[in-house]
Amino acid sequence: MNRTEARLARIRGRALAKTHNARTIAALASNPGCARRAILDAAGADKQRIAAYAGFPAPFGQSRFALARGNAVEAQVKADGAAELLTLLREHLNLPIPQAHYDDLSEVGGNTSLDLRHARTRTLLARAAAARTDAGTMFDHPLLRLEVGGRHAFLEPDLIAFQLHGRFTIVEIKSFPVIDGQADGAKVAAAAIQSAVYVLALRDALAEQGLPAEAVSHETVLVCPRDFSSRPVATSLDVRKQLTVLRRQLARMDRIDDLLDLLPNDLTFDLDPDGDGIPRRSPAALAGAIRQVDARYAPECLSTCEMCFFCRDEARGGTAALGRDVREELGGVEHIETALRLARGARAGNDLAEAAELLRTAARLRADIIKEAV
Amino acid sequence: MTESVESLERHISQLRTAVREAVLAGDRERASALRRELRQAEQDWDEALARAQEAGAGDREEAGREVAGREEAGREEAGREEAGREAPGQDRGGAVLAGPANAASARAPQPPQAPLLPLREQVHEALSLLTVPAAPRLIATVHEAFFAGTFPTARLTSMKRDEERSFRTAPFARPYYVCAALTADLLAPARGLLAISTWPMERRVIGSLSPRVDFLTGAIRVAEAIERLPAPVPAARRLLWRFAASIPGAAESAGNMHPHEVTQAALAELAVHQAADQATRHAAARRARDQLDDAQQLFGTRIQLAGQRAQAKGGR
Repeated sequence: MNRTEARLARIRGRALAKTHNARTIAALASNPGCARRAILDAAGADKQRIAAYAGFPAPFGQSRFALARGNAVEAQVKADGAAELLTLLREHLNLPIPQAHYDDLSEVGGNTSLDLRHARTRTLLARAAAARTDAGTMFDHPLLRLEVGGRHAFLEPDLIAFQLHGRFTIVEIKSFPVIDGQADGAKVAAAAIQSAVYVLALRDALAEQGLPAEAVSHETVLVCPRDFSSRPVATSLDVRKQLTVLRRQLARMDRIDDLLDLLPNDLTFDLDPDGDGIPRRSPAALAGAIRQVDARYAPECLSTCEMCFFCRDEARGGTAALGRDVREELGGVEHIETALRLARGARAGNDLAEAAELLRTAARLRADIIKEAV
Repeated sequence: MTESVESLERHISQLRTAVREAVLAGDRERASALRRELRQAEQDWDEALARAQEAGAGDREEAGREVAGREEAGREEAGREEAGREAPGQDRGGAVLAGPANAASARAPQPPQAPLLPLREQVHEALSLLTVPAAPRLIATVHEAFFAGTFPTARLTSMKRDEERSFRTAPFARPYYVCAALTADLLAPARGLLAISTWPMERRVIGSLSPRVDFLTGAIRVAEAIERLPAPVPAARRLLWRFAASIPGAAESAGNMHPHEVTQAALAELAVHQAADQATRHAAARRARDQLDDAQQLFGTRIQLAGQRAQAKGGR
């Protein structure tokens, strides 16, 4: 165990390290500037538990209904040898008729062991890549692996990776609708970054077989219900940007030392459990330890991070809590209090002059509107 | 008239006895099906009685008038009852023609009746129509479209296990077993597929092209079954559209769909895949017959813990 690992282990304390999945890896990339999240994730700390113990439990995880709906949509497009999906891929990617193979990788010989499935996935992908024929078109629930912060995370794309003209494409099935060609932007963004995680993992798997990164397309296919019906529709997603962000974020986790150097040596998020696993550390002390690591709160965190309520409470009164746009417009003004003072005409230093001018204009406009309304 | 009322009364009392027996035996499925039939019989009895009363009053007031019309109505009623009663018999024979479905469409709209057949026979009926291994959901839909009633697919998940247990205690005691389809590579049970033990092994092994080939074959069988129906059945057409929508050139829309065109399109795509699929299936079937014992041939082999350890080591 090297120095970094030892420090991360100390930060995590006695709790078992949490393993990553596609969602948590995707969440890493959604707020790259947050040191708190980077440290907690690198250490494999149980964020949910820590947040709850510090007094800010987050009702996290997917809703039961969302899960059921997602599973139903997936089951529908994959029914009868993925018949609907095959039709979509034929239309969308001009898949030739003979390429209609379907391999179920969600179990191997009636066994669902992760190692076994991973080995089988690798074998089948390698065979498909080497054969250069139609030996494999759709791979249902392959099991991939990605190294995150020195540990392997198993990734089970709830989707199919398939080969077309010697290229692999990631297919992601989501249950949110595409209405009139438009879908919820935040959800598409989340799906894109999740697909990017899978692209990265698939590239890793193929690199072990000596295949170039280009063997995996940077265009992934997103399958969603069309309009208000249950018929599916396919859309291409270019995930090059997300791949860059992810790679940078994963590399940053490897360079976690730089962040650790800024923190006191005795920092730990250990809950100090007794023999029965009941924490003995005072919540206030834990909260104090968390505050030692800087966070960068944004309202988007509420949908991706277990620590969100803690950070939101901490950011109260700051302009960051109003969202990234406001924070950027008011560059340099950190607190809402300051912003209001400037708007009322308080004197500002040179560095804040531009923001102050903007705020005064806004205040004048608001006053005019209110006057007219009355 | 009074005769039909009396025969209905006899039928009702028989049904009441059957319901009591089923409830006491704890067979809820059968009990609820019988109760449905009982309710129907009571309704028929009410109607028959009302008609008898009407006829009596009519006889007294305007004797001789509208006799022809009444007779016609009576014939029609009798025909309806006949159709209703014949339905379970047709099912039992495993006939493809949808007796109850037709009866239902001829009658006032009502939910399809659950038949009194055991679940495994219903599964057998549906699979015999498809002639290929299928998932529980498809089996239930086919049964709903072409035979009477549907069943919760959740009940099919335990069926394979029950059949396997039955086979292991008394091999080949039943004329057929609802068994597994086997994966061509490892000869393990294919996830979520049911098959019939009397089918040749070639049909029960699943290679990587087989899901598509079986889908196309199923589409052809469903289209043929629809062409044999004397009258259009909406549920059956909906089922065919589910197939046709995923076959290139099969149909433009659900409204403009012709069974023989679906068959032609499915045959065209089938021709592309068939040779490769047959080769895989024949090889796998030969392997299965050579290597597996009787129970394994029906229900597949599973990778056990020791094998799992060895495999994992080999993978690393």
